[in-house]
Amino acid sequence: MHLSREAIVEGVQRIVGPEDVITDEEVLRESSHDRFRLYEDVHGVYTQPIPAAVAMARSTQQVAEVLTFANEHGINVVPRTGRTATEGGLETAVADSIVLDGSAMNQIIEIDTYNMQATCQCGVPLQVLEDRLREQGCTTGHSPQSKPVAQMGGLVATRSIGQFSTLYGGIEDMVVGLEAVFPDGTVTRIKNVPRRAAGPDIRHVIIGNEGALCYITEVTVKLFPYLPQNNVFLGYTLESMKTGFEILREVMVNGYRPSVARVYDPADAAFHFSHFAEEDQCVLLFMAEGPAGIAKATAEGIEAIVARHQECRKVDSEFIATWFNDLNWGPDKIAQEREEIRQTSNICRTTEISSDWGCINEIYENALRRVVNEIPDITMAGGHSSHSYINGTNMYFVYFYNVVDCEPEEEATKYHTPINRIICEETLLLGGSIVHHHGLGKARTPWVKDEYGSSYYILETLKRAFDPNGIMNKGTIIPK
Amino acid sequence: MRILVCFKVTPDFEALREADWVAGAAHGVETRYVRRILNCFDESALEMALRLSDTLAGRGVTVGLGALSVGGREAEPYLKTLHALGYERAARVHSEASLDFAPAVIAALIAGYVRRVDHSDLVMLGCRSGPGDSGTVPFLVAETLGWPCLTQVIEVEPLPDDRVRVACMVDDGILRVTLRLPCVLAVGNAVVSHLRVPTLTDRLARRNKRIDVFRAADLGVDIAAELRRETCVLAGLEGIHRARQGVIIGGATPREKARVLFDSHLKSMIEKL
Repeated sequence: MHLSREAIVEGVQRIVGPEDVITDEEVLRESSHDRFRLYEDVHGVYTQPIPAAVAMARSTQQVAEVLTFANEHGINVVPRTGRTATEGGLETAVADSIVLDGSAMNQIIEIDTYNMQATCQCGVPLQVLEDRLREQGCTTGHSPQSKPVAQMGGLVATRSIGQFSTLYGGIEDMVVGLEAVFPDGTVTRIKNVPRRAAGPDIRHVIIGNEGALCYITEVTVKLFPYLPQNNVFLGYTLESMKTGFEILREVMVNGYRPSVARVYDPADAAFHFSHFAEEDQCVLLFMAEGPAGIAKATAEGIEAIVARHQECRKVDSEFIATWFNDLNWGPDKIAQEREEIRQTSNICRTTEISSDWGCINEIYENALRRVVNEIPDITMAGGHSSHSYINGTNMYFVYFYNVVDCEPEEEATKYHTPINRIICEETLLLGGSIVHHHGLGKARTPWVKDEYGSSYYILETLKRAFDPNGIMNKGTIIPK
Repeated sequence: MRILVCFKVTPDFEALREADWVAGAAHGVETRYVRRILNCFDESALEMALRLSDTLAGRGVTVGLGALSVGGREAEPYLKTLHALGYERAARVHSEASLDFAPAVIAALIAGYVRRVDHSDLVMLGCRSGPGDSGTVPFLVAETLGWPCLTQVIEVEPLPDDRVRVACMVDDGILRVTLRLPCVLAVGNAVVSHLRVPTLTDRLARRNKRIDVFRAADLGVDIAAELRRETCVLAGLEGIHRARQGVIIGGATPREKARVLFDSHLKSMIEKL
């Protein structure tokens, strides 16, 4: 039997205490969605079912009890920490959901600079951890644009990636061990070891689950020496993305591991680099880091590769170093963006995909051509590749449009979803992945079966096994 | 009505690190490496002019919109954007010499352009352009043209018979003035602070519109002579001490913390009101 809204609130209050259960209507409305519905949010329009309560968990035990309670009564639970999700993963798809907030679980449990690992609760902001680590000469190597706001639990849950991924990898390469709670209240710990071959790597049941299988309460990540004094920045202008992709491929295939390796198309470059690049130019940039000898050798190797491509023109590396200093998004930029959207009805959206080297340029060209031709009111369409691997790279499509002749609640249907559809279709057609690092959320679940193909069986089985009552973040990863 | 909006492309000072705020020997803070943006006050002026134009278009009145920038090629992408947004005229005055801290020269160039080329009867521009700016350009333009000038403008609405109704921020509130053209309006912290964005279709449709480039001599201005008359010299730079004290409020629950916050801080502040 389904509980009433009041009974849900009372039940959660009994577990976490009345002080830590928020039922304020405005908070509930704002907790019904994430950045995917930014345009609606800016205009104070809320179209998603309103949750019953936001519960602030303060311990793993409380998380376990809330999940047990929800599981017994069939109440949808949306796990969250830093609230920087972009793909609808935090939307409460079912009325009277419980939003289980772990941001109060914000203790750094241990920094172990001998074994080079740090353990923290899910609500520790990455910036806080990183600041503490840097005082001790270490870094996580993880630096997503959301670093000032995002928290460790959410970063792991969404399989996040940072700006220095080409050297350090994505969060999945950094996580050593975890603690997570499953819907029946089972608390599981995966111990911290360098590697093991004891069957499947079960960390990957948890990493990237987007709150659809379990609740991450604690994570242990690797540490690396922090040596910013050795950083070498390189920047070039060039004529075509095709050349840019080829240079990235050569850098990776030849064994170099810069922390940053990016190529921006002319539209995106105009947005970031108009102070040194011409309107129709692409921009290629690198950062080499690590011990001095490695950073130097990496930079020299990259320079030699780029030198073989005559269309590249080197720019003063201080342009690149300065640009990096202002790349991250904190609360100030988020507030500015909201005001700009409110005044201009112009909004920026992104869709990130990946593919092998053989077809990335074709996906890039085909998708952009279709976006420009098929979607109205586009004011900018471009993108960049920012995370490269031995066998391929990602493409981060960036596009702006004016929202014209439609209500805030129609914005996603008229613009964002059709653009996502084009990019996903073109990516799937050539064998790429429709999501590189933002997670599927709810926004990209229409294409999840095509993304997985026959391996969808594994995903579906995981969901059935760990969340048989379907209480974990309904509609996320697995379509509703 | 013929409107000219003057704008400046400035370094994005927010992108500078604190360590970058060091006065160089010759040219002040090193801003070469940060991206360029529209001066925020000028951006307000550009959008306000578009809205004036929209309002008058609704009444069947055509407004001629023009935009002018003094400086190098960095202004051209913005001039193209303004063309795409419906600005008929887009021009820049090219200067090889640095015109930082040279408000009289800038004002002479703007006034020369208005008199010799543009013949606009309403000049709008930001009240200042950024850190280190003297904020005197609008006054000097008005003085040179012999027109009235209103500052800290936050709203403009058109009235019949070549008049505008202008709202300006003053020390103790908002001053509303009805003014007959020609005049200079220096825009301050207006409600409208962001310029609308043209679509790719708009850009494509107006991509061949010409950007006029003038030399100072075309406008009857001798920059070298004007610069000799400038009396402003950058003497030095000093950081503003922004460190603030903070107190971490204790308490076991949000309610307890709120009580401590109210009793120890807010209550006395409210009593003083």
